[in-house]
Order: sequence, then structure tokens, then C-alpha cells
Amino acid sequence: MKVLMPYIKRYRKDAYIAIVSVIALVFATLWQPRLLQVIMNAILKGDKNVIFQQGIILIILAVIGIIAGVVNTIYSAHVALGVATDLRADLYSKVQTFAYADVEKFSASNLVVRMTNDINQVQQIVMAGFQQISRIPLLFIGAFILAMVTMPQQWWVLIAMMAIVLGVSWYSYKKMSNYFAKTQQYIEDVNTVARENLMGIRVVKSFVQEPHEISKFSKASDRLTKVTAKIGYNFAILMPAFFLTANIAVVIAIYIVGQNVTVHPTYLAAITSFISYLMQILFAVINGGFLMIMASRANISLGRIDEVMETDPSMTYVKGDSKPVAGDIEFDHVTFTYPGDDSPTLEDVSFTVKAGEMIGIVGATGSGKTTLAQLIARLYDPDEGVIKVGGTDVKQLSEESLRETVAYVLQRSTLFSGTISANLRQVKSDATTSQMQWAANIAQASEFIERLPLTYDAPVEERSSNFSGGQKQRLSITRGIIAKPKILILDDATSALDAQSEKLVQEALDKDLTETTTVVIAEKISSILRADRILVLDNGRIVGNGNHKELVDSNSVYQKIYLTQKAREEGMS
Amino acid sequence: MSDLKNASKYYWHYFKRYWFGFAMTAILIGISTACIVIAPTYLGRAVSELTTYLQHWSNVATRSSANLGTFHKTLLVYLGLYLGDAGTLFIASMILARITAYSTGTMRVGLFRKMQRMQVQYFDSHSDGDILARYTSDLDNIFNALNQALIEIFLSVAQFIGLLIVMFNQNTTMAWVTMASTPVALIIAAVVMKKAGVAVNHQQDDIGRLNGYINEQVTAQKVIITNGLQKDSVKGFLKHNQKVRESAMSGQIWSGVLNPLMQGMSLLNTAIVIFFGSWFALNGTLSTGAALALVVVFVNYAQQYYQPIMSLTSLYGMIQLAITGARRVDEVRNQPDEVEPADSKKLSGIKNELQIDDVHFSYLPGKEILHGVSISVHKGEMVALVGPTGSGKTTVMNLLNRFYDVDSGSITIDGMDIRDFSLKDLRENVGIVLQDPQLFSGTIADNIRFGDPKANMEQVIDSAKQANIHDFITSLPNGYETFVSDEQSVFSAGQKQLMSIARTILTNPQLLILDEATSNVDTVTEANIQAAMDRVIQGRTSFVIAHRLKTILNADKIVVLKDGSIIEQGNHEALLAEDGFYAGLYRNQMVTD
Ligand SMILES: Nc1ncnc2c1ncn2[C@@H]1O[C@H](COP(=O)(O)OP(=O)(O)OP(=O)(O)O)[C@@H](O)[C@H]1O
Ligand SMILES: Nc1ncnc2c1ncn2[C@@H]1O[C@H](COP(=O)(O)OP(=O)(O)OP(=O)(O)O)[C@@H](O)[C@H]1O
Ligand SMILES: [Mg+2]
Ligand SMILES: [Mg+2]
Repeated sequence: MKVLMPYIKRYRKDAYIAIVSVIALVFATLWQPRLLQVIMNAILKGDKNVIFQQGIILIILAVIGIIAGVVNTIYSAHVALGVATDLRADLYSKVQTFAYADVEKFSASNLVVRMTNDINQVQQIVMAGFQQISRIPLLFIGAFILAMVTMPQQWWVLIAMMAIVLGVSWYSYKKMSNYFAKTQQYIEDVNTVARENLMGIRVVKSFVQEPHEISKFSKASDRLTKVTAKIGYNFAILMPAFFLTANIAVVIAIYIVGQNVTVHPTYLAAITSFISYLMQILFAVINGGFLMIMASRANISLGRIDEVMETDPSMTYVKGDSKPVAGDIEFDHVTFTYPGDDSPTLEDVSFTVKAGEMIGIVGATGSGKTTLAQLIARLYDPDEGVIKVGGTDVKQLSEESLRETVAYVLQRSTLFSGTISANLRQVKSDATTSQMQWAANIAQASEFIERLPLTYDAPVEERSSNFSGGQKQRLSITRGIIAKPKILILDDATSALDAQSEKLVQEALDKDLTETTTVVIAEKISSILRADRILVLDNGRIVGNGNHKELVDSNSVYQKIYLTQKAREEGMS
Repeated sequence: MSDLKNASKYYWHYFKRYWFGFAMTAILIGISTACIVIAPTYLGRAVSELTTYLQHWSNVATRSSANLGTFHKTLLVYLGLYLGDAGTLFIASMILARITAYSTGTMRVGLFRKMQRMQVQYFDSHSDGDILARYTSDLDNIFNALNQALIEIFLSVAQFIGLLIVMFNQNTTMAWVTMASTPVALIIAAVVMKKAGVAVNHQQDDIGRLNGYINEQVTAQKVIITNGLQKDSVKGFLKHNQKVRESAMSGQIWSGVLNPLMQGMSLLNTAIVIFFGSWFALNGTLSTGAALALVVVFVNYAQQYYQPIMSLTSLYGMIQLAITGARRVDEVRNQPDEVEPADSKKLSGIKNELQIDDVHFSYLPGKEILHGVSISVHKGEMVALVGPTGSGKTTVMNLLNRFYDVDSGSITIDGMDIRDFSLKDLRENVGIVLQDPQLFSGTIADNIRFGDPKANMEQVIDSAKQANIHDFITSLPNGYETFVSDEQSVFSAGQKQLMSIARTILTNPQLLILDEATSNVDTVTEANIQAAMDRVIQGRTSFVIAHRLKTILNADKIVVLKDGSIIEQGNHEALLAEDGFYAGLYRNQMVTD
């Protein structure tokens, strides 16, 4: 609730209107039985004037009721949706301040559930709250006072009844909290399984593992089903139990009246009205009880939202203006271990790259090439050592400067659904068509983009599924270079390109991005032949640093790689 | 209203198997309602018995005979009736709670089952997050609605019927008067519900889109961070968020106003009964006294008449969400399944040959990707597909596995069209290592035995060894039991590909397809697994797509695909001799100092 208050305060005016209108509604509700009493008496007396008069008041009351009800609905919705929208926006913005490790910690699929399902729980309770919140205590207090006035010495029956109802509500609140926490957790699990089946649908289908995946999903789903059934059972007990309690109270009240009827004969006449007040109290208490149980789900959700809100990004940037720095890179005795890993992935890595140089990085699968690149882009921070970009420690660079300086084309190319131009304009918001063409030309992407009916406005589906592997890569290279970065990292970014296209990309990069420092990670030596220098990584250490000729002559790791790629002379001859 | 019809059909589908539970519930609720209707008469009797007792007691003559026995008995009956009410209501609620939870569970699993049967094309062209919203939003709404509304519907209907019976027994004219405002209420309800239906539909669709946006963005958080796109991402989010706010606002308001409107109708209806009743009493045939008493009774009924309607409309927001939820789940359920042959032929391996014959194919109508591709492969042969990116290599693979079906032409195995085999048969014989490897949450061992969950550890380790990933796995603290998921794997890109190869090796397929299976693997490791691969490919028919020509030099046939047409075909030596496109590719790539 602490999380919620500041948000509700933003909609103070709407909240007040919602409350005032609900008070008007309660007023109409409480007045109506009295009015009817008067009218009935008038009918029995055949008093036309009174009937007519009071009948008109009844109609006015109806109109007030309708207006108050509608106004209350509208303004409660204003508050509830305002709160939910703001809360969701803050949550999303918070996630956008996260370092990559933080996102990994929560996992993308769980974050999505928190931003939608959990927020929705909160929205519902706020809505229900503003429709009920003042209604319940008002109805309750009104009925309670009237009941006490009618039969003062039966106060303990009232109190006992309320104590039982509230006690049971409190008990189930606690139990339900537990179930609701599990519910949210299981919804996440269901989402996770469904989501990975969407992403890996081709794998599932090609291995004919649909039945297995269904049984996996069923397990997750059954857990959710069981806990929701328990929630249902609890609800099922509550309602009849409450009514029974109230009716036992009625029986006790009448019984006591019966035992004392000779002493207090007047109470006999009061029984009916006492019962009706008792029932009103009960309804108020029951509504309150249910609201409380609903609140327990919202409370769990708020806790889960809060957990994200309270997470401090594990990486912070210095504030500062965005100014690209020069393209030098320096690694000074850098050691890095992935969170949760026990041995370092990079060990004591040192090297320097001068602005405008092209350097190649080769090494076995899993030797740490991507890891090294990710450190330049500051996806993670090293455990030891310093990484400098443009002569400054990356930790001392503002986020904007770093991003403007370094463009990183990931090993797994990812585009966003939308259009090609929207993807490119994300990086360079004012990119003109000719600038897009320039970048696409370098990346050898214009060849296929220009053949698309809508060219740069051609749609991109989710997972860029309407492009081939090599097309995706070329599009993401295009995105990488469109802003003419000072440093360009290509992490195996041409692996799905045929040799011809790859060669053209390289030549174009050489020609058009002369000032850019290029870091090319590659498995193919042909991709880095022309590099000024090549770093050879082996098991997280740099074991070679020189140009192709030097390495071929002296570096055994490099030689081995080279040997596997030499042309099959016997084939040529 | 068509939504309502669809929703009824949808719920009928899931509910009909619980007919017995529903019948029981109806009976129990009937009993419970009867108890509630009868109980007040006993209350009245108790009070009058008490009055009699008081009279007897006050009279000295009868004081000795005055006793509370009958009063106590009546009270006991009253209590008994409420015990009956509580008991039956409790059992009915338990039954419904069970039906609610389990039918929602069935819907959830049913949706997932459906997803597994759908065509790949649907997933290639729809947002993941929007589909997922059906699980996390729509089905949750459906559960909530059923959980609270189902019992209420039963109770309200029972109360309503009970009241109608009582009313018509009392006085037919007044009963009709009490019901007179019903058509107006129905019209109002219909209008509001129509508006609400449209609004809530928009609301849930917008929520689906929002979910899609968030899911896609956060999944690609690495791209966002490395490109510094956070601000953009938030901006895009705010647009969706605002949309949801607006559509949800009108959804909430329209579905929320029905209750106050009906409350108003209830009061108006009471007023009508009063006015008409008094007129009827004063001008009618009955004696005035009796008529007036009747009016008083009917004023009470008028109040009760709208009670069930009000309870139901107070839950209307939920109910509408359940109707919309049904529509959205149905939208997916109505997607076409993958096409299975009517009577499928048995496929047990390739005996002679696989033939791709003059295949034309387009993903989007009018934009043909493959223009008459023909390839024939004999059993045990290895065919390499090479060609520039986007030339259609993966597309050919998509057709072999029937992720998509050809527009014209055919693919046959031993003369039989692959569309005549059951999908299960076909795919069990075709093993494919996809260009983009994908892992599932579970242990490493689980992932390797993905294609054959019953495989033992020995097979798992053997496959891992062949794919050259065993050493890495054993170097992890938990070895094969390390828990991984696609996002949080401990693997580098190349290692993930090796995992994907191990996974396929384990299933031992007849036709093996490798779509750039080692594009991210270093060439030394690649050379190492080449030997293993050669062994796997040995005796099997295989298609290999590779840009690294070194891996396909030994292919029996190399097919060069360009812009969806085959331009060269032959083995390595022959193609080099031809000195065409392939020879150019080869020379470009190899390091020849
Ligand atoms: N998120 C992670 N958590 C823990 N370990 C990781 C993570 N990502 C990678 N690793 C491990 O770090 C090592 C280096 O991985 P990296 O991705 O840098 O390799 P790479 O040289 O880029 O390989 P490839 O050529 O296959 O892309 C690998 O052994 C891998 O298992
Ligand atoms: N789902 C799809 N919807 C529409 N077009 C598609 C779809 N998938 C592929 N395409 C288009 O079909 C063409 C062939 O794609 P394909 O994936 O077969 O190429 P490829 O030869 O495998 O290329 P690469 O070597 O880059 O992987 C491309 O132009 C691509 O844009
Ligand atoms: Mg890598
Ligand atoms: Mg491909």
C-alpha cells in the first residue's frame, strides 16, 4: 500500500469525486427503506397525497442514485486506470534503467508478467476500492447504530457475529495471500513454457515433441489449476459460513428475546427490524471481507512490483553530456567472471587499439570473444582491471557518450517488429533515405531491400522471421553503421553471409568508414585477413597479437585455425 | 451479440463434460433457495408463538400452562432450514469452484495444445506477446469471472424463478405490473452491453498489443542497452500504455454503469408498482383493505424482483471480460491446423530416393521465392545447398519438413508425396539442425535428449561427445545437470550450436538437414566434429547448407541456388572446373596466401 499511495494522490480530485458520489449513493440507499415505510403506511391509510408526494421523492432518489452511481464508476475508473497506467510506466522505465545482468536475474518473461498481470490486479483493487471503500463503513456504521438502538442488550450478539466474520476473513486473508503468491508464480511459469514454445516452435515440431511439451505445459498448468481450485474452495466456504453465522445470531437473538419476553415484552415488536439491520451489517462486513481477500492478491502483486522498483541497477553511469569520444580502446589487465560463475571467463586481458585501426579477434568457440566485446560495450563490468574507450575508463563515460561512440552488432541479430526504416531510425532518429541507402550499401543490404515492394518501409515481423539469416545480419550491420560510430564491433556478424557478400561488406567498410575503429570477431580467417592486428583468444587469455603473417609464422593456436581453412589444393589442381 | 453467441459456444464446449456437476448444482441451489424462501415463515411463526406465550403468561389463569416448547421447536426448524441453506450452498459452491478451476485449466492446456498443432506461418507473422496475453490476461480474467459469477448466476436465476412463482400465485395483474419495466431494462442493458462489449474488446486487444510490445522489447534488452535505445523504448511503450488507458477507460465505464442504471431502474419500478398499485387498490374489484395489503406485499416483491439483476450486473465487468476472453482465445483456436493427410501412408526411412520436383513456392501470395527447383537425391547421398544469402536455401528446408507446403510441384520420397505421410512420421524421419538454435528451460541433459526424452544418460553423453561439447559440459560445476534456458544459457553462440547438433545426433534421423549448423563454431572445432558428422551422415541421406565451403567439399552433389533458381549442380571438382558461380565463391573464401 505504501507503493500505491503516491500514485493515488496524483488523482486526488478524481478520488474525492468518486468518494463523494459514493456517499450520495449510500445516502440514497439508506433513505430508500424509510421512504418505502412511509409510503406503505400511506397506502394502507389510502392517503393519495402522501403516496404521490413520496412517490415523486422516490423517483428523484432513483435519479440521484443513477447519477451518483455513474459518476462514481467514471471517477473510480479514472483513478484506477490512472494509477495502473502510471505504475506500469514507472515499472517499464525502471526496467529500462537496468543493467543486462538485472534483466537476466528477473528474466524477460517474468518481467512481462509483472508489467501486465500484476498491474492488472492492482488496477482492479483500486477500482473496487473506490466503488466500495466508503460505502462499506457508512452502511456498516449506520446499520450498527440502528441495531444497537433497537435492542441495546444484545450488543454482544452483534459483536460476536462481527468478530467471527472478521476473524474468518482475516484467517483466510492470510491463507489466500499464500495461495495468491503461488498463483502469480505459477502464471509466470505457464508464461515461460508457453513463451519458449513460441520461440522454439520449429524445434518442437521438427523433433515431433508436441506431446512432451504438452505434458510439460500441463504440469505447470496443473499446479496453477490446483492452487486456483484451493482459492475457489476457500471462497466456497466463506459465503455460506457467513450467512450461517448471521442466522445463528438471529436465532440466538430471538431465543434471548423469548427467554426474557416476560420482562421486556416490547422487544417482541422489534425483532423484525433488528434482523434486517443485522443482515445489513452482515452484507457490509461480507463485502469488506471480500474486498480484503481481493486486496490480498493485489498486495502480493504490489510486492512483486515493488521488488522490481526497489532493485537498484547493478551498473550506474556518470551523468554528463553526450559527446562521442575518440575511437581508441585499451584493456588493462582485465579479468571478468560471469555472475554466478566460479571461474573467470576472461583472465588478465591487456591490449590496445588505436583509433581507426581494424582489429580481428579469433579463437575457439567459448574462448571469450563475445564476452570481451560485451565489456567494451559495458554490458558487464570487469572484476579487475580497467577498460578505456577514447582514453577514458568506460565507467567514467556517460551512457550517451558510450553508446554514441560504440556500435555493437550482436552475434544473434535481432530486429524489432515494425519496418526496416523504423529499426534504422531508432539508432539515428533523423536518418534520411539517402543515409539509409548509404549504410545499406555498405552492409550489402540494399540489394534485397530495394527489391522489396516497400523498400525501406517494408515490414519486419517479430523475430524478423520474414528475412533470411544473412538478410537479418545485413540489416543489423546496417543499423550498426548508420550513425557512423567511432567504434564498430562486429561479433561474428557475417557468419551467415556468403563469401562474396562478406568480402563486399569488408571492402565497403574499409572504404567508407576509414575513421572508425573496427573490431571484427570472426571464425573465418578470410574475414580478418586485412586487419591491422589480430588478437588470438584461448580460454579467456590473449595468446597472440599481431598481423596475419606474424601469427601464421609464430602462433600455434592461430596456425591450427589457419590450417583448417586453407584451400584444398589437391581439389584445385 | 455475436460475441455472446460465440462465448456461449465456447463455454458450452468446456462445460458440457461437467453436466452432472451443473445439474447437481442446480438442484442444490434449488433446495437452498427453497430453504431461504420458507425460513421467514417460521420466523413469523416463532414470533406469533412468542406472542401467544406472552398472552398466556400474562393471564394468571393460563400462566401455568404457558410454555416455550413450541417456540423452541419452531426456532430449531428455522435454524435447521438455514443449516440446510448453508450446507447446500456450500456443496454447490465447492462443485462450481472445482469446475471453474479445472475447466480453466482445460482451456489453458487446450490453448497450448492448439498452439502445438498450428501452422508455422501463424507464428512467423504474429506477435508472441499478444498470444501470451491470452494465457496471462484473458484466461486469468475468465477464471476470475467464473469463480465469482457462476454461483451468482445460479443463485440469481433460482431467486428469480422462485419470486416469479410466488408473485403469480399471489396476483397475476400485480405480477405483470411488477414486470412491466423489464423490457425497458432489457433495452437499456442491451445497449450498454453492446457498447461495453465493443469497448472491452478494444481494451483486451490493446492489452495484447502492449504485452506484445513489452515482451519483444525486454526479450531484446541486449540490443536496447548496447544501442542506448532505452528512451526510445520507453517512448514506444508510453504510446501503447496510453492506448490501453483510453480503451480500458471506456471498457471499465461502459461495463461499470450497468449496475447503477439497473439500481435506478429498480427504484423506478418500485415507484410504478406503488402508483399503479394504489390506483388498482382504490378503483379495483377487491375490498380496499385486502387490495392495500396486496400493494404492500408487491412493493416488497418489486424490490426483490431487481435484486438478482443487480447482483448479476454488479459482476458484469467481469462477465464481459470473460466474454471477450473467450473471443480472443477462440481467435487462436480457429486458426487452421497443420494439414494432415486423410489416410496417411507409412514412412519408414528412405529406400531409394528423395525427389524435389519443379517446386514453386511463395511465403506471401504474388511474391514467389522458389521458381521451379528440382533436386534429386539418392539414399545415402549428401547434397550441399550453397548460394548467396536470401537465395532460398532455408526455404527448401522449410518445405522438406513441411513447415510450409509447396505452391506447385512436389517433394516425394520413393515416389510418394511427403504430404501423404503423417506429419509425425515425416518429421521423425527428418532431423534438422536449424540456423537459429533454440534451447528450452531444463537441464543440459534434458536439452540434449529433447528429441527423445526417454534416452538414457549414456546416449546423451555419447551425442555430446560427438558434437564436441562434452568436455565443456563436464567442466561446469553441475555438469549435465546444469539448469539452462534459452536466455540464460551458459553457452556461447557456437556452443549453443554444438548443443543443437548433439540434440539431433541423438535422434538418429534418416534424413538429416544441417542449416548452417556450425556457422558460429570455430573451424578447429568444426573440423573435429566433421569426422563425427561424416560418421553420422554415413549411410544417411543429408542436406547440408553451409557458407563455409570447406565443410561440403565431400558432398556427392553441390546445388547452387541463386534467387530461387538452381544455377549450377555437380560435385566440387566438376563445379570448379566449370569455373562458374561456385568456383568464384570458393576462391573468395579460402585463404590462399
Ligand atoms: N551469461 C553467461 N553466464 C555464464 N557463462 C557464460 C555466459 N555467457 C557465456 N558464458 C561462458 O563464457 C565463455 C565465453 O563465452 P563467449 O560467448 O564469450 O564465447 P565466444 O568466444 O564468443 O564463443 P563463440 O565463438 O561460440 O561465439 C563460454 O565458456 C560460456 O560458457
Ligand atoms: N516467413 C517469411 N515470410 C516472408 N518472406 C520470407 C519468409 N522467410 C523467408 N522469406 C524470404 O524468402 C527469401 C529466401 O529466404 P531463405 O531464408 O530461404 O534464404 P537463405 O537462402 O536461407 O538465406 P541465408 O543464407 O541468408 O540463410 C528471402 O528473400 C526472405 O526474405
Ligand atoms: Mg561469441
Ligand atoms: Mg538460411
